[in-house]
Formats: sequence, C-alpha cells, structure tokens
Amino acid sequence: MKTLLRLLFLASSFSALGFLAAPARAEKTIELLNVSYDPTRELYRDYNAAFARYWKAKTGDDVVIKQSHGGSGKQARSVIDGLPADVVTLALAADVDALANVAKLIPADWQKRLPDNSAPYTSTIVLLVRKGNQKGIKDWDDLVRPGVSVITPNPKTSGGARWNYLAAWGYALAKFGGDEAKAREFVGALYRNVPVLDSGARGSTTTFVQRGIGDVLISWENEAFLALKESGGDQFAIVVPSLSILAEPTVAWVDKVVERKGTAAVARAYLEYLYSDEGQDIAGKNFYRPRSPKVAARYAAQFPQIKLITIDDVFGGWTKAQKVHFADGGVFDQIYLPH
Amino acid sequence: MRILPQAPHVALLSTAVLIGATVVLRADTSDDIQSLRTQIQQLDQQLRVLQRKQEIKDEETAAAARAAATTAPKITIDDKGFTFASADGADSVRIRGLVQLDSRFFFGDQGASTNGFFLRRARLISEGTFSKLYSFQLVTDFAGTGTPSILDANLGVAIDPAFQLKFGKFKSPVGLEWLQSDSWTFFNERSIATDLVPNRDLGVLASGGFLGDAVSYSGGILNGVPDGTTSNNAAFDNDKNVVGRIYTTPFKSSDVVPLQGLSVGISGDLGREKTASGHTAGYKTDGQQTFFTYGSTVVADGQSWHVSPQGEYRYGPFGLIGEYVLSTVNVRPTANAAKAQLENKAWQFAAGYVLTGEDSSYNGVTPKTIFNPSAGTWGAFEVVGRYADLKIDDAAFPRFASALTNADEATSIGLGMNWYLSKVALVKFDYYQTKFGFAPGAPAIPTTVILRQDEKAFITRFQLSF
Repeated sequence: MKTLLRLLFLASSFSALGFLAAPARAEKTIELLNVSYDPTRELYRDYNAAFARYWKAKTGDDVVIKQSHGGSGKQARSVIDGLPADVVTLALAADVDALANVAKLIPADWQKRLPDNSAPYTSTIVLLVRKGNQKGIKDWDDLVRPGVSVITPNPKTSGGARWNYLAAWGYALAKFGGDEAKAREFVGALYRNVPVLDSGARGSTTTFVQRGIGDVLISWENEAFLALKESGGDQFAIVVPSLSILAEPTVAWVDKVVERKGTAAVARAYLEYLYSDEGQDIAGKNFYRPRSPKVAARYAAQFPQIKLITIDDVFGGWTKAQKVHFADGGVFDQIYLPH
Repeated sequence: MRILPQAPHVALLSTAVLIGATVVLRADTSDDIQSLRTQIQQLDQQLRVLQRKQEIKDEETAAAARAAATTAPKITIDDKGFTFASADGADSVRIRGLVQLDSRFFFGDQGASTNGFFLRRARLISEGTFSKLYSFQLVTDFAGTGTPSILDANLGVAIDPAFQLKFGKFKSPVGLEWLQSDSWTFFNERSIATDLVPNRDLGVLASGGFLGDAVSYSGGILNGVPDGTTSNNAAFDNDKNVVGRIYTTPFKSSDVVPLQGLSVGISGDLGREKTASGHTAGYKTDGQQTFFTYGSTVVADGQSWHVSPQGEYRYGPFGLIGEYVLSTVNVRPTANAAKAQLENKAWQFAAGYVLTGEDSSYNGVTPKTIFNPSAGTWGAFEVVGRYADLKIDDAAFPRFASALTNADEATSIGLGMNWYLSKVALVKFDYYQTKFGFAPGAPAIPTTVILRQDEKAFITRFQLSF
C-alpha cells in the first residue's frame, strides 16, 4: 500500500505540473455563418474584418465569418431547410419572420432583441438609368410607359424586389388617392415592361449593368451607388423618384443554431457591433443609411432627400403585405404574366 | 455564364441588316434610318434578354444541382473505411476492417509448437453516429480459433465535447499502449507492461476534453477484470471497479514547437475481485508465450487496484511512449487459506523514428507516397525499439505460484522496422529477445521449456487496416 501511495503522489505531482503548464485559457477559432441577401457582399466583407479585429482584441479568440448571399426569400428558405446560419442579415423582416413562424428557429419577438427593430441600417429604392437617360425617366410614371424596359428582380425570391414593388405601389396609391384598383393597374403595367426577372437584386444589377438590358433598373440605393462607383461614375445616373419607401433590412441570430454550435455569445456580439460607431461607419461607407444620428450626419451629403413611406403606415406591416401581395396566389401572382 | 450559340444571333442581326439595306434602297430618308436603328436596337435587346434568360435558367439549374447535392446522402470510400452519411453529416455509419496475417519464428526449441503463419486479427468494425449525439461501436473478431467474438459493443452519448458517456463493452482506460489502436502500435505485439492492465470490460464511462483538448479525462464504473483479460459479454459481478484516467498535453497550444507533442498522465482503478480461478490468465512474453501463471487453486479475494503513470512525446518523425504499471491483488492459495497482497510491477519505453520524414503519430504514420515500384515510390519506413520489464512479487513464490514452472521476471528488448506501404497497408518486422529471472528455489533447468533460455522471436506482419 505504501508503494501505491508513493506512486500516486509522484504521478499526481507529475500531472499537476502538466496542468500548471497548460495555458489558463486556450485561444480558439470560432466560425460563424452569416446568411445574407444579395447586395451586402461588400458591406459584410468590410464589416467582418472589423468585427474579427474587435473580437480578437476583446476576447483573444479568432472569429472567421463565412458569408452566403442570394435573394433574401431564397436565403430564408435555405435556413429553414437546414442551412446552419448563426446569423441572418436579410432584406426585410418578413423573411426573418419566416424563421420564427415556419421553423421555430428564433422566437417570435426577435425584433425586440436589438435596437431599431433589429434593423441597424436602412436604405431606400431609387432608379438607375443609362448615360443620357434616353427614355427621359424622371419618376415612377415613366416606368409604365410602353416601350420602356424595366429591370427588377422577382418579388417571390428577392427581398429587394418586394421593396421595389411596394415603393411603386405606394407611389400609385399616393397618385390615385388611395385607389387600390388603380394602383394594381399601375403596378401591373410596370411589370409588363419587365423582360427578365432575376432571383435577386445583384442578379438584376448584372442584367442591367453588365448585360446591357433595359432602360432603367429599380434598385436598392446602396446598389445604385455601388454601380456608379464601379462604372467610374459616367455610365449610369441615379434618378431619385418623388416618393419611395423606407427599406429596413433586419438582422437576427438564429437561436437553434447558435445553441447547438455554442456560438450564441459571439453571434449576438456580431450583430450588436453593427450598432457601434465603427459598424455604422462601415454601413455608411457602403452606401447604407446609418441609424446612428452622429454617423448619419457624417454621411448626410451622400444621400438624397426623398419623401419616404413606411411599410407599417401604408401596408399595415410586413405580415399583412406579405400575405396580400407576395403569398402564393397573391396580388403579384395575379398581375404578373411571364413573357 | 452560358452564352447562346452565336449562329442564331448573327443570323438574326444579318437578317435585320439585310432588311434594313433593302429598305434603304427603297427609301433613303433619315426617318427610315432612324426606324432601322430602332428596330436593330430592339432586336439586340430581345437577343440580350433571351441570352440572359438562358443564363438565369442555367444558374438556377446549377443552384438546384448544388442544393440537391447538399441534401443527398454521401457515400465515402477511403482509408478510413466505407462511410454512409446524411447530407448534413449528423447521421453516419462507417464500416471498417482490420486484417493481420503474422508469421512467428522462434530461435531454439521454445516455439516448436507456435512457429508458423496465423491470422492474428480479422475484424469487422461498424460504428455510427446519429444526430451528432448518439453513437455506437461494434467490433467483431473472426481470427484465433475461428469462433467469432464480440470485442467491443458500446453506445455513446456526446452531450458535450467535455462530457461524453459510453455504455457497454470497451477498452478499460488504464494502459497507455493498450488504449492505442491495434493497427498503430510501434510493435506488432504490445509490451509485457500491458500484461498487467485490464483489457476490455463492461460498464459505463464518462470522458471528455477541455482547454482545447490540452486536458482529457475519463472515469467510470466497470465490472472489473483480471490483468490482461477481457470480460465476456455477461460477466456478472457484485463488486464493481472504479476506473479513471487524466491525460494532459500541456504545451499543445504553446509556441515552443518541440514541446507541443509532450503528454503526461496517470490512470488507475480500484475494486474488489473474487474469482474462482485465480486472478489472471497468465502473463505472456512478446512472443505470446506464457511465462507466469498462478497455481490452479489460487483465488482472488479482496481489494485490487492498478496505477499507471504514463507519458508520450512526439516531435516530427520521432515518437516515444513510456508507462509504469503497478498491479496489486489480494489472493488466497486455496479458497479458505490465509490471503496475501501481491504487487506485480512492469514498465516499458518504446520509441520510433520515421526514416522517410513523416510525422510519428499515436494514430500511425501517413506515408507521403504509397508503395508503387512503377512510379518509383516506396512508402514510409520507421525503425522502432523497446525495452520492458515485468516483475512478479517475490511473495508469490511458492505459495501462489510454483518456482519450478514460472519465471518471476521477464526483461524484453525489441527491435523492428515498419514499412507503411500506404495508410492502409503495413508490413512489420520485429525481433524480440526476452530474458527470464527466477525466484529462489527454481531449478537450474526450469521444467517449463520456454523458460530454459532467452526467448528469441522474429515476428512479421502484413496488415490491412481501413
């Protein structure tokens, strides 16, 4: 027995040395998947680098953020079908709602977890025309004229396209004194001028800018600015319509995924940092309208003043708008006839 | 991007130009020219739209194919076996195999009855995971006498990387070399130090790793088995053994590369044994010949425990393992005689060096090239050496074991070469020499033939492991 005790003492001391030599906390690499919509590639490329620096300085851990982009509706569907997104940064609340309503991946009150209804930046919808604006496009009315070719993505798959559609509908309602039938006729005429429906906003930009199709692109404001920047500023021009819509892309961490992967803390911090001065500044640099008044003031000259309607005021919120206009058999299905 | 065939594009444009030319001949006015320009622009737009629609269709087809690929089950065949996995990898079943064909040759008279070729192991291993949480392992062996036996059969629940549970029959976590896969030990037979540790047992075991796996542990309750033996599948036992092991690789994340592969640990168990046929099936040499057994009337009765400090070092092509085992048992010469506590001790050091430069590893060597003479590649070569000793408690003689027929100590030297033809195929050439010591009262010429001179054995192996 004495031998045993001696051995136990020696071996325990040996192991204790090992423990003491072990680092108090091993640094680790955490991987996040951000499932986002089409035009946010550049925004999150910049933001991910900034957040990784911030998180490393704060915790010592490396964080690697992978991105997935596509039409917002399609992206939501992918997450519901099992794409293991730690966070979603989608074009509109309705697509994030689907994660709660269809798959129970997040709580129903997800929008209350972050400031500004979980929309850390905003944007709006503008019109992008070719150099010279040969069709003389000045406002939404010009998009329903015969012979004008309009490029916009498919509202069934693209969040941006739904904002486009609702902006046009809101304009028509304002023009016709709230007459829904005339608004329907107006939007129907607009979609009759659409030769190609891409599945996402970036696809429509490709159609218009790179493939040279169409006279006007209905576009996210940030996407239009990006197209101007990348083309050198002399190939296209932005036409600011008399009325547009306040687009609020929303973000959420996906509870079921982060709980399973053990990434809840970093996923939450990733989204919260969007509201920081650095996060807001990166949004501004990428042509998104910052929420922070301080940062927004810095970029005020960049964004045109537009009369903006809101989804809540004109359409009764996303749930109702989604059901009336974009659900299967909804208004869009009734007015759009594929060419 | 898919581009539509040029022919229709060119044909349509040519037609438009011809039409335009004809019209120009008829009415050469600026209005007509403008009209033609407009028509050509419209045709150009129509073509671009058709192209873009086809492009979108192709993109959607490709996306659908990618989506289908991500939801389709995956079948993988590689050096890790045959794996069938769900698209998300949460569920998988793997079939593996291990076949070892050995030849043993003993110099002198010792191995007259055991020289020759034989099938050392022929195992079919199935294992799987469901929902990334629940797992199973079933290991069956068809070698030996030809009667299939179940070596491992256990179920696991991976609650967390730091806390996993295993239920069933599995390796008892005491011996360092014992825990290593049969495929990847330095030598084709484990050292005599492994004679003193319990082999496979039934029970429940918790295990896990933390601090980035710099520290791992296992602990559980098992039925308890004698040294060097494996439980059968219904080994009912009122007295249970508590078993535990803690193993650290303290410099795993350190910047000091030469220290990253240093591991130290300790393991042990504690329990009670009461058997009808002694405590051990016998201790064997490297050549798998028995050099010590308790008397046939000896029974284990009382507390038993093992303790084993152990360590490992890997640095590039160099590998070293070492362990010490103390096995303590209470035994009676006959069922009603006074009992005594015996302490048997063993230790070993084994080292290997991969001549071709690959890393030495607990999970074997992965050769940079496979043996392929036509391509001029030869696989990997590793030289190995081992020194080991096992000492029986002096008090074992003569009450519990006959000095006439048993050695009280075995000291073994092993030298060998491993030729990794590929990750799957391996050839081993090992030479062992074991010297025996004897208790007072032993005859000048032992009655047991194999003890009359040093055991000198040359054992080769051809192995397929996947």
